[in-house]
Amino acid sequence: MVYITSWDEFVERTVQLFRADPESTRYCMKYRHCDGKLVLKVTDNKECLKFKTDQAQDAKKMEKLNNIFFTLMARGPDVDISEISGKEQIEAQPAKKGRGRKQ
Amino acid sequence: MVLLQPDPFLNELTSMFERSTETGSVWVTLKRSSLKSKVQRNKLKTAQQPIEYRCLIRATNAKKTISTSVGVKDHQRFQASYATILKAHMAALKKRERKDRKKAVEDKKESGSKKPKRA
Repeated sequence: MVYITSWDEFVERTVQLFRADPESTRYCMKYRHCDGKLVLKVTDNKECLKFKTDQAQDAKKMEKLNNIFFTLMARGPDVDISEISGKEQIEAQPAKKGRGRKQ
Repeated sequence: MVLLQPDPFLNELTSMFERSTETGSVWVTLKRSSLKSKVQRNKLKTAQQPIEYRCLIRATNAKKTISTSVGVKDHQRFQASYATILKAHMAALKKRERKDRKKAVEDKKESGSKKPKRA
């Protein structure tokens, strides 16, 4: 079991995992204040995806993932989450491209 | 395991975060569940009745476990309050510093170049 380093990859793969088996997939968050560490884990008892961070900015990203999973789990796996996840991509992508390629 | 209403659950979660500042961790798990036993689910299946699912939320600090569930109607209100609690208590995470900014830019470049591949 390895930690996934890319946030976007983590989001994509966890949502895929949930949609493949909505009834046995769970999303777990562990927060350790004394070490300032946050670990996110999504597993369906066969595959396990984890993401580890100590950065406050990742907590903001996690908030969006929380919203995605609340929606998926309460409304069902077929619900359209592009609005929830779409917002963050629209906000994040142009800024990244602009900075990266102009230099 | 104590099954609480969403609001008492959030209060209890807040005090769990407050009690674990010096030592210990807090775990929160989200799971899609019908809150019914397998026998009950099978009965519904054979009767061809739809199974109603909710989002089950469990929290533990290794000493105590609490849980609640939210459905289609109330999940948005709950997730907003939950996000507020997390924001207030995850104060130990590092803010971005100037030294890290170079790294952050490099990371962004990497993730930026990865994106077109996916599309």
